[in-house]
Amino acid sequence: MNSMKNYLTVAALMAATAVAGSLSIGLAQAADISIAIGSEPSTLDPQLRDDGGERAINDNIYETLMARTADGILVPGLAAAAPTQIDATTWEFKLRPDVKFTDGEAFNADSVVRSVERIIDPAFKSEQGSYFGTIASASKVDDLTVHVVTKGPDPILPSRMYWMKMVPTTYSADANFATNPVGTGPYMMAAWDHGQDIILRRNPDYWGEAPSIDQVTYKFIGEPGTRLSSLVAGEVDLITNLLPEFVSSVPNSAAVPGLETSVIVLSTENPSTADVRVRTAMNLAIDRNALANDLFGGYGVPAKGQLVNPKAFGFNTALDVYPYDPAKAAALIKEAGAEGATVTIVGEAGRWLKDRETIEAVGAYWTAVGLKVDFKINEFGEYLNQLFDKAHRPDAIFVQNSDELLDADRPMTSAYESGASYASNNDQEMAKQVQAARVETDTVKRVAMYADITKKAYDGSYLVPLLNLEDIYGFSKRLEWQPRVDSKLLVKEMKAAD
Amino acid sequence: MGLFILRRLLQGLLVVIGVTIVVFVATRLVGDPVRVMLPLSATAEERAEFQHQLGLDRPIPVQFVEFAQNLATLNFGDSLWQRRPAMGIVLAKLPNTLTLIACGLGVAILLALPLGAIAALKPGGLADRLTVFSGLFGLSVPQFWMGLLLIMVFAVIFRVLPTSGIGPPVHYILPAITLGLPSLARLMMLVRSTVIDELNQQYVRTARAKGLHFHQVLFGHALRNALPAFITLAGWEFISGLAGYTVVVETVFAWPGLGQAAMQAIQHNDLFLLQAIVFTVAILIVAVNIALDVAHKFIDPRVELG
Repeated sequence: MNSMKNYLTVAALMAATAVAGSLSIGLAQAADISIAIGSEPSTLDPQLRDDGGERAINDNIYETLMARTADGILVPGLAAAAPTQIDATTWEFKLRPDVKFTDGEAFNADSVVRSVERIIDPAFKSEQGSYFGTIASASKVDDLTVHVVTKGPDPILPSRMYWMKMVPTTYSADANFATNPVGTGPYMMAAWDHGQDIILRRNPDYWGEAPSIDQVTYKFIGEPGTRLSSLVAGEVDLITNLLPEFVSSVPNSAAVPGLETSVIVLSTENPSTADVRVRTAMNLAIDRNALANDLFGGYGVPAKGQLVNPKAFGFNTALDVYPYDPAKAAALIKEAGAEGATVTIVGEAGRWLKDRETIEAVGAYWTAVGLKVDFKINEFGEYLNQLFDKAHRPDAIFVQNSDELLDADRPMTSAYESGASYASNNDQEMAKQVQAARVETDTVKRVAMYADITKKAYDGSYLVPLLNLEDIYGFSKRLEWQPRVDSKLLVKEMKAAD
Repeated sequence: MGLFILRRLLQGLLVVIGVTIVVFVATRLVGDPVRVMLPLSATAEERAEFQHQLGLDRPIPVQFVEFAQNLATLNFGDSLWQRRPAMGIVLAKLPNTLTLIACGLGVAILLALPLGAIAALKPGGLADRLTVFSGLFGLSVPQFWMGLLLIMVFAVIFRVLPTSGIGPPVHYILPAITLGLPSLARLMMLVRSTVIDELNQQYVRTARAKGLHFHQVLFGHALRNALPAFITLAGWEFISGLAGYTVVVETVFAWPGLGQAAMQAIQHNDLFLLQAIVFTVAILIVAVNIALDVAHKFIDPRVELG
């Protein structure tokens, strides 16, 4: 059976090679690889948009002052060392010497100042602005020293600088900058055939370790079925967002717990969920292991009682997964006199992996312990209206949080701080705690503050944290790569066999 | 004739303006694009600030006046999502969609005439049954599934065609088949039924009785009489392709055309790009309709234009 399969594969490969020769389908060569991404970037300006397609490419062209290891630990990138604090609002960055942009322009303090000022300028209308709202200005001290000044104390600044790509001082004002990017990274722009592909090739003068892949071609394939086919057909070497059920159909795959955590935000004010016993019951009613295994094929990890990513700064190691205890949940609901009470859960379908299925499964668990569940699965726009509606909080609303900066502040602001984004509690004291932690520059104190907040939210069941989801990648047999926690597709970390 | 075309152009202009206004109002009712553009974790203040930067916090009437002024110079503003002129994007994508429709519909037209006629020669015969069966198949199979099936067979199993993307002519084969199949089915069924009707007419018997060969009757009379309906339907197939059916095919085959752009514009709540796309498609539809009327006049001189 197996040899028959091998024979067929060889025959198919030979046919494919012959066809590729005559019809130029273009199978990749030895040290060249192809990657399928979901959509064509609308611009390759690295500071303008908040878009996965653009990021997938520019993460290889541009670099940041701070970087992360594959495991998520913050390390210096273009900075020579971790920044030091001069005073409450000033951070000093020492820069790595002898770094050049691929057009020959030097990377120095001027580039950093230009990069900071460009992205925080309101007239530039950057979609990434919300990551850098705390930055007031940047100034050059000497050629390799920069001071970044924040509006108030900002302990997250080093993490923010892991998100801000460094652009060249003069060329970033050029009209071609958005289509012909120039960075300091291991790869440089080779060609952009609009609608078809983008090709990057190795930067021969890269300051760091020389990467092994010579050239990488990005193809834009939005439809997951087609993306899968292109991998199986040997047209591409790497695809993202592989569905768990297709892991067995691809030549090779790897998964890593990613940035996304699914959660249900409970209202502490609405009559049906105001009683903490009911909210606790809603947490105890859910078998998160079953969700991870049956719905996600094992490619998810039960969230440890909080929305903070396990790899992020501020993760509370003292909390554990809410236990699965349907008997206790049913008893709590009876005790609260909430048997048969209707709880409305708001969600959407198709935005996140198996979102509708997750919501329905959770609803079934709640029904099993004595609640009535009213599902409201909305179109994404309408769903967002409800997510951000300050005046009318739904009893329960599903959301999947992505923790890009790997710092507790963003998830805290989103789901814990009353009135800031989509939190549904009315805990003004907690809101003050979140705000205080945001400006606490003593790391030990800040960790302790987050521990307090997450513990309080855990005890009060403000949230129903579900799963920390894994990113699944499919790749060809010849590609060697270990996926990263931060979901970045860094080609310099990949190798391709002949 | 000139007067007729002029009048139709003016009517068409009204249609285009009407459609554009409807799109302007509808896209603003759908909701605020900023919700989709910024990360979900952005705070309410950050959203309000970004909305202000884009000028979307101004009253809708103010936005409309600006929109109307720009429309006079065919300026649709910058796409919110792509951050470059919306019309430029449309003009870059349009040729890809037009060539795809031309390939799919071209093959459908070329095949529908002979296949439909052959089937009509002997209603209930083997050829007819095969035609009707495959026609129903072409109509009932969802394009989405058909596209994935073709990719599976020809790109994954046999590896003779590329899975997706635009490029050398081989890239056109699968998307064109997927797009053209339902059109082929409809056109073929139309030819079949019209020719069967015509062949049962009295004049056919008369023509045969006075000694005309069967193929003369078929090509000179029956098929010719089927043409006006055929052209109307072919024009409708073209319009429906433009107005939406390519969305599915372009999505499945990662085809960088107008349908894909429309899909992405909707996903990104990109009001300005959506307006430019709808405006362009509306103009094309009006143009095709006028062309169809003129074509009828040439095929059938009895047709009165007016």
